[in-house]
This record gives sequence, C-alpha cells and structure tokens, in this order.
Amino acid sequence: MKVFNNIYSMLLLFVVVLFSCQESENPTINEKGEMIVKFDNYVGNQTMILDELGSTNYRYTTAKGQEFNITRFGYYISHVKLSGPNGEVFVDEMNATADASQIKGYYRVVQGEPDTYNIHLKDVPAGQYNKITFTLGVREDGIQEGAVGGILDRAAGGWFWNWNSGFIHYLFEGHSPSSPVVQGDITNRVRLHIGGWKNIPSENEDPQRFFDNNVEISLDFDATVRVSESLRPSPHIHMNLLKVIGDADFEMENNIHSPAAGKPFSQRLAGAFIVDHTHQ
Amino acid sequence: MISCYKTRVRLFGPVLLLIMMVINGCESVAEHPIVDAYKFEKPAHFPEPTYTFRNNQVNEKGFKLGRRLFNDPSLSRDGSISCSSCHVQSHAFADIMLHPFSFGVEDREGKRNAPPLFNLAFQKEFFWDGGVTHLDFAPILAFESEIEMDLSFEEVVARISRSADYPALFKDAFGIEEVTGPYVLHALSQFMLMMLSADSKYDRYVQGDHQALNSLELKGLELFRQHCESCHQEPLFTDLSYRNNGVQRNITDLGRETVTEVPQDRAKFKVPSLRNIEVTSPYMHNARFETLQQVLDHYTEGVAEQVSIDPKVFASGKPVISLNAEEKEQIIAFLKTLTDPGFLTNPIFFNSND
Repeated sequence: MKVFNNIYSMLLLFVVVLFSCQESENPTINEKGEMIVKFDNYVGNQTMILDELGSTNYRYTTAKGQEFNITRFGYYISHVKLSGPNGEVFVDEMNATADASQIKGYYRVVQGEPDTYNIHLKDVPAGQYNKITFTLGVREDGIQEGAVGGILDRAAGGWFWNWNSGFIHYLFEGHSPSSPVVQGDITNRVRLHIGGWKNIPSENEDPQRFFDNNVEISLDFDATVRVSESLRPSPHIHMNLLKVIGDADFEMENNIHSPAAGKPFSQRLAGAFIVDHTHQ
Repeated sequence: MISCYKTRVRLFGPVLLLIMMVINGCESVAEHPIVDAYKFEKPAHFPEPTYTFRNNQVNEKGFKLGRRLFNDPSLSRDGSISCSSCHVQSHAFADIMLHPFSFGVEDREGKRNAPPLFNLAFQKEFFWDGGVTHLDFAPILAFESEIEMDLSFEEVVARISRSADYPALFKDAFGIEEVTGPYVLHALSQFMLMMLSADSKYDRYVQGDHQALNSLELKGLELFRQHCESCHQEPLFTDLSYRNNGVQRNITDLGRETVTEVPQDRAKFKVPSLRNIEVTSPYMHNARFETLQQVLDHYTEGVAEQVSIDPKVFASGKPVISLNAEEKEQIIAFLKTLTDPGFLTNPIFFNSND
C-alpha cells in the first residue's frame, strides 16, 4: 500500500512538473486573436457606385471602350485560410446547415451593404501572418448538404440557381448602351452571373461536362502582420471589376447565366483581387 | 431558495435516468416493439441511400408538416394548385392519364410529363434532365416555374410565416422560432423520402417468395433481364443515366444538354424507373405513348437513326431490341408485377391535417 502511494505521488509530481514546464516554455500556446479582412470594390481606379435599375448614367468604360454602369454587384467568399512565415496556419471553420446561426465560413460581399465588406475572422492563433487564401464561390460541400440557411437560403435572398443547382457566386448586373438586350421596359441590360461547382472531365471522345467556376485565390500581404489578444490587424483587399470583364464585348456577352458561359470570366477572377495594404 | 433549486437540479438527472431505465426495461420485457411508421428504413435489397439523412432525419412531425405543405394550394401564386395536383398517390405520384402534360397556375400547360415520385432517397439527380442535384432543392424549381406554381420561393416562405398554423408546426417539428427556407425544404423532403416502393410482387419474388410470380411473369422477367436490364437496372429499375431512346421524332426538347451544355447530351433524358409503370401512363418525357405495348413497339420498330441515339437501342442501322408478340406480352406481364399496391394506398400519404 505504501509503495503504491509513493509511486502515485511520484507520478503526480512528474505530471505536474511536465505540465508546468510546458506552460513556462510556451506561454502563448493557446492565445487567440482576430483579423478583419476588408474588401473594397473598384472599377479600374474608380470606386464602385451603384445606380438605379434603368439608369442611363454610365460612369465606367471597359477595355473595349464600352460604357456601362452597375445596378447590382457582389460575390461569395468561403474556405478562408491564413498562413505566416513561421508556419502559422489558420483555417476558418466551415459549416453549411439549415440553422442560419450555425452557418460558418461562408461570406457574401454585397455592394451597397457596408456590413458585408468586412470578414471577421475569430479564434486566429496568435502569431505572424503574411498570406491569405480563399475560395471565390461555394464549393460542393456547401451545395450537396442540401437545404442550408442564412446567406445560402434562396428564400432569404441567397443567389441560388434553381434549374442547375448551385450558387451564382460572382454577380454583376447593370446597363451598357452597347448591349441590345431589352427585358420588358428595361433596356441595354447586362447581366453576368458566374456559377458552377463541378467538373465531369472529358473521357475518350466524351467532352467535359459542367464547369467548376469556383476559384481559389492566394494573396500575399504587403507586410507581415501580428495577431494577438490585443492586436487585430486588417488587410484591405481591392477587387477590380474591369479585370473580370476583360475584353468581353457587351454587344454579344451581356447575358451570362450558365457555367460554360461563365468560364472565360471565372478564369479572370483570380487576377481581379489584390491586397492593397494592411493595417497592423 | 437558491440552494434548494440547485439540489433539485442535481437530483433531476439521475432520477430521470432511473425512470427511463425502468420504462425501457418494461418495454423490452413486454416484447411489444413500437413500429414507427415515420422512420426511414432502407429496404433490405436496395442500395445505400444517397440522401443526406445526417442533417435531416425523418420523424413524424416533420413528415406530417411536409405532407401538409405538399397538399397546400396556397403555395402557388393564385392559390389554385399544390404539389399533389400533379403528383397523385394512386398514380405513384405521377399525374393522371388525362394530363399528359400537367397544368400549372391559370391552366398553363407543362412541357414534360410529370414524373412519378418514389424511392427518391436513392436518386442522385432530379427531374428529367437531372439539373437538380439534391432532393431538398427539387421543390424550389416546382414552386418557381412559371408553368407550375409560379411563386418565388421567397414568397412561399413568407406566406408560410404569415399563416395562422404553420409557425407553431415548424416550431414543434424543428424547434425554430422563425420559419426559413431550408426547414420548408427539409419538411418536404421528409415527406417525399418516405415514398418508398419496394413491396411489389417482384420484390417478394427476389426476396425468396417463389410463388410470387407466375410462369408468364417469370418468362417476362427472363426476357426483361436479357433486353431491358442494361438501362433499367434492378432493384431501382434505372441505372440513373441519361440517354436518347429516340422518342422525339424531331428534337425540340434538348433535355440533358440544357444542363451539361454539351451537344453530345442532346435529347437525352433520365432513364426512368419502371416500378409502378402500370399506373403511370402516358409514358416518356413527352408523353408520347399511352400503353406499354406502344412502348415496346417503339423499341422494336419505331426507333430510328438520330443524333445522340443510344447504341443500346439503335445500332448498325436498325433497332437493337428484337421481340415477337408473345415475348412482348410476357414482358408486359412482368412489368405489371412492379406495381406496389401497398405504396399506392398507404394512408400515411393521404391529405390530412392531423
């Protein structure tokens, strides 16, 4: 009995010593902080301003010299990751579920709704970070769970395609005098709806079916920032719509509503985002 | 007062556990297993379901709520039709024979024959062209289609939220204070998932009742396996693929091509299940045939060269399937053994507000 007691005491002492050592060696092991990623939308070097549906006030000009304006604009962001020079990694938790309060990791930046411009990342391990990676879009794991809530709920304004299940993950609507599209009493309409989340690759003589237009975008910060309990840095990302429009001709490409038609635009998405600056 | 409350709380758990143990113990002793008619159970001879039950388990309250929604005409724009207007239980939840194309609001005529609804938990894609990739999303298309219910899903949910009865039923079924889109879809899925058809004469035969099929039907099964099985695979009686069986004389409906955006899929449609085929006339996406005899005649004589025609029905300049009159009769006799009377008359699907 006494021997047992002694062994137990020694074991207990050992464990206590072990844990106390760890703590003293690495005092910040569990320290968490936050980061706010801000998205600013631009058209070339002009800030993005929305006009009313039907407006003929053309503020912007494409690379092809075609005038246009914007009546509705936004995009979905998901699967956000941060990484740092010393091996720091933060992977934003993802959860697609019917309960809107439990949706995690999905964000939608909607022009005209300033609350949506900031992505608030929480529980980021303290440390240094100099790179952000995110998916522009909603991947299969956000679609094949079935009906989900919040910004993914079509009944609550989610940009969901009903005929070809999936989300419009990059949306631009406006007018251009170059577009001949007339719908009811709305003229010169331009609508660019980019979606599509799966590829069925070509096999033998069979062509590729569907197009995955989700794009993973990795951006280096202009400076390394530090996250801690007291430091909440904020990288500012600029998105330039002109890069996505590229050399599209609004006379022809003015009504994009399918994965195949959206492919040329989605290939330009990655080049439309840069980290302009970071606030420590 | 506070310490008294705490003591009660502390005691509550163990006491509850004890009570539950006693109750459960009693049940097992009594040997009266309670059959839950509202629990999804995979038929033994079926493959694993594809539905995401992990986030939407079928239960009695959700099922009954889904049943109510399915039968509710107020969820169409002018209050004239419900899901059940075109999906009729006695026709395996297909439309009646007099409606080769279903009628939506304002008697707007549809473009494709309303498919029957059953064994949906085992499907991967929905509708004739398979554009919808999850059962939950299927009702959105029916609500919003201009030729069906013509009501935005946003307005469907708004009407449900404003109604006198629904919010309490949703709270009861899902524990939610506010009705939102995904719960409406989950309730409808729960109702549709229970549409299991797996108890036809054929099912009894393959599960060991050798008396279930007579000699004519057995000969038909043999011929079926020889000529039809490669597309209408047992036990679902579809391989879930998309094919052009030449049913359009002139191609006006692009079918699967609309969804995949490749011309190789022109005029292809999902291979339909043949279960309950006896009660789902007319046949094919364009409702071209009224009898099974006409369908078989199409495969043996009617099918002709066409872009994207399936090589399993037409090759080397002629129809692949060759059957004489007697063989056709035998196959039709077998197809009628796929009728599942228990499913077609199961009272759990009857319109009821209980």
